[in-house]
Amino acid sequence: MSLFGTTSGFGTTGTSMFGSTTTDNHNPMKDIEVTSSPDDSIGCLSFSPPTLPGNFLIAGSWANDVRCWEVQDNGQTIPKAQQMHTGPVLDVCWSDDGSKVFTASCDKTAKMWDLNSNQAIQIAQHDAPVKTVHWIKAPNYSCVMTGSWDKTLKFWDTRSPSPMMTLQLPERCYCADVVYPMAAVATAERGLIVYQLENQPSEFRRIESPLKHQHRCVAIFKDKQNKPTGFALGSIEGRVAIHYINPPNPAKDNFTFKCHRSNGTNTSAPQDIYAVNGIAFHPVHGTLATVGSDGRFSFWDKDARTKLKTSEQLDQPISACCFNHNGNIFAYASSYDWSKGHEFYNPQKKNYIFLRNAAEELKPRNKK
Amino acid sequence: MTICHFFLQGRCRFGERCWNEHPRGGSGGGGGGGGGGGRPPPQQYPAAPSGCSRGGWSNSSQRYSNVIQPSNFSKSTTWGGSRDPGKTSFGSFDSGASSSGSRNVGFSQNRFSSLNSNQVDGQKDEEDKLIEGIVKDMEVWESSGQWMFSVYSPVKEKPNISGFTDISPEELRLEYSNYISSNNLQSYLNSIQQLVNLWKSRLLELKNINSATKGALFSKLKNEGGQVVPTFGFQSQPTSTFGSAAFPGSSNNSSSSSVQNFSFKPTSGFGAAPSGSSTSVFGSPASPALTAASSSGSTMTSSAPTSFGFGESSTVSAASFSFKSPEVFSFGSAGFSGFPASSPLSTAGATSTPAFGGGGGATGGGGFGPSGSGANLFGLPTSGFGPGGPSSSSSSGPPSGAGNTAENLFTPKNELTAEELKQFVAKKFTLGKVPLKPPPEGLLSV
Repeated sequence: MSLFGTTSGFGTTGTSMFGSTTTDNHNPMKDIEVTSSPDDSIGCLSFSPPTLPGNFLIAGSWANDVRCWEVQDNGQTIPKAQQMHTGPVLDVCWSDDGSKVFTASCDKTAKMWDLNSNQAIQIAQHDAPVKTVHWIKAPNYSCVMTGSWDKTLKFWDTRSPSPMMTLQLPERCYCADVVYPMAAVATAERGLIVYQLENQPSEFRRIESPLKHQHRCVAIFKDKQNKPTGFALGSIEGRVAIHYINPPNPAKDNFTFKCHRSNGTNTSAPQDIYAVNGIAFHPVHGTLATVGSDGRFSFWDKDARTKLKTSEQLDQPISACCFNHNGNIFAYASSYDWSKGHEFYNPQKKNYIFLRNAAEELKPRNKK
Repeated sequence: MTICHFFLQGRCRFGERCWNEHPRGGSGGGGGGGGGGGRPPPQQYPAAPSGCSRGGWSNSSQRYSNVIQPSNFSKSTTWGGSRDPGKTSFGSFDSGASSSGSRNVGFSQNRFSSLNSNQVDGQKDEEDKLIEGIVKDMEVWESSGQWMFSVYSPVKEKPNISGFTDISPEELRLEYSNYISSNNLQSYLNSIQQLVNLWKSRLLELKNINSATKGALFSKLKNEGGQVVPTFGFQSQPTSTFGSAAFPGSSNNSSSSSVQNFSFKPTSGFGAAPSGSSTSVFGSPASPALTAASSSGSTMTSSAPTSFGFGESSTVSAASFSFKSPEVFSFGSAGFSGFPASSPLSTAGATSTPAFGGGGGATGGGGFGPSGSGANLFGLPTSGFGPGGPSSSSSSGPPSGAGNTAENLFTPKNELTAEELKQFVAKKFTLGKVPLKPPPEGLLSV
């Protein structure tokens, strides 16, 4: 019995990798495929910071591994290294100097992976799976922020086994983003909290969620002066809210838009609504990309409030996305995100990470 | 110009201001609704703007209509307010808050006197719109195939509607992996089935909203204001507990069947949760008191909503729900519905009640009494536990809850402060002094 209804089923329509390639829809956008992609769903992607020459991509997957590739300018991807956790990896991030990678896993720990020595040590411990991990680099301190389903946000000095600080969350942490000096955390039960990180992390404001359903992903954006000024919040209901922290005119400046739905303009038939799995802002243009369970990615200009592009539909949901440090590369992972439950899970299905040239397509639309 | 559908139905809120065509000879009452006030700003659902200056949520009834005020949402171009950058767009949430704030007083006033028809029209409108919005949202939720294990709130500043739990896909998938590794796929499937059933029944309840559900919903929504206290449904609203009794159980006989499915392992079995601090997620809906049996519950202040009973075996029958011992329920975090027959309560997150919109939001905290860790949700005299009682007994749910009803539904007089007593005795509540506890039995005059 199908528990999740029979809307456009995902896994059911995909063709086998080994079968014909003519109708194979795994890469309709003809983007570059990363070699040696993980064996199970990819939960998170992260590119190296500008301090590291070249581009290195890290991906965490439900196969309990974290993989690292070097991405060369010609598009070639070279697998470099891999580390394991004892549980699926839910989030990854880089340190600001590009020497370490932090990984958060369902095994309730977060690890620090030193890429030079290829050693990984545990630096954080929670009572429940760690959902988010971010590196905070402040003028007077540096630490790792981990958010977990145990409803806490902990800050770790990587040298010490106990956290520097623990903050209580109203509910399980579902997603977070950090752009110094601001951190935004979205929790279950539509919780939304913004923290300010100067001196030491403290809660800045709890915000009424602009969305009606479960929060799924959050990404902070910056203003023209490169200061974080707000965030984009995505929900499972195919909607993204753009929210400014201190806008001159909140009613006017904050808005939400629908995305990742079928039947865009034809409203007579019921739409299929998909979750927004990831949001990423282009580091240079300030435009954003969203990826959803419908297997599409879209680029948007939030200032002009327009959509820039929507991709073709992939045969699997897109579970994660990321821009590289200069915005030339957009990486997105095509793998099952459990949006339709276990019935549509096909362990045999190959999971992909695609790289796309993002320099042109994300240029902001000129305001009319 | 497009013809205004709502005008044809006699319920166009813009009246003269409406940007669509109102054919003369169409329903004459169409213009009346325009009095609802406010300007016609584009809302974030670029369908029709809201006539009333509430958040755009309530307008979801118009969301999918073909009648689209000039802002269109064609895919390739602008979304939302682009058509008129001058207008305030997207739901004046702020003003929405204030308007709903003012409604509270009026509404609670009416709760105590028999509902008279002298209500402010706008208020009726407000409720109707809310209901419309909820119904529409439920329909969409059902038909769209979107993720079902999500909380829902009809309007921005409102708390989540009870009966829906928040489970992220990752949590679900983790559960799956855990069960698979312990070769227990069947229990996983059963639990999923239960969750889905609970969701479905709650959804249907809201979709085919009847007056009892409506009443409870409103009292909860209005009184809780900006607080996102995870839905106990009957938690200790000051005014709603009595009367809202119908809410959880009334129409919910369908889920009583799920009682039998609850397979709980009374003791340590938080399903396959590997460690003592259980990680699994399915706490909320399926949880009725199961945790009651497992005493380890009391230590789980920091764990994620514990999974009750996705565990093996058990044949704990409904009767074993013993709500007697309050300490059993002190999960800091676990959400549970006391009454399997009634609509499930979503995660309590009791420790965190003062989460949102501070303000008078102390309701949640106050209501729970010691809202610190290990909130004794059911141990409190004021807890909204009560309403579940009568309803569950009426819906053939576990009767054991009923025993507690009396003392938990109403506050004994001696527990009220003088101030609160005065308020209850007075003809109407004074704004700012609305008691947080339910009134004592003797003072009811429903």
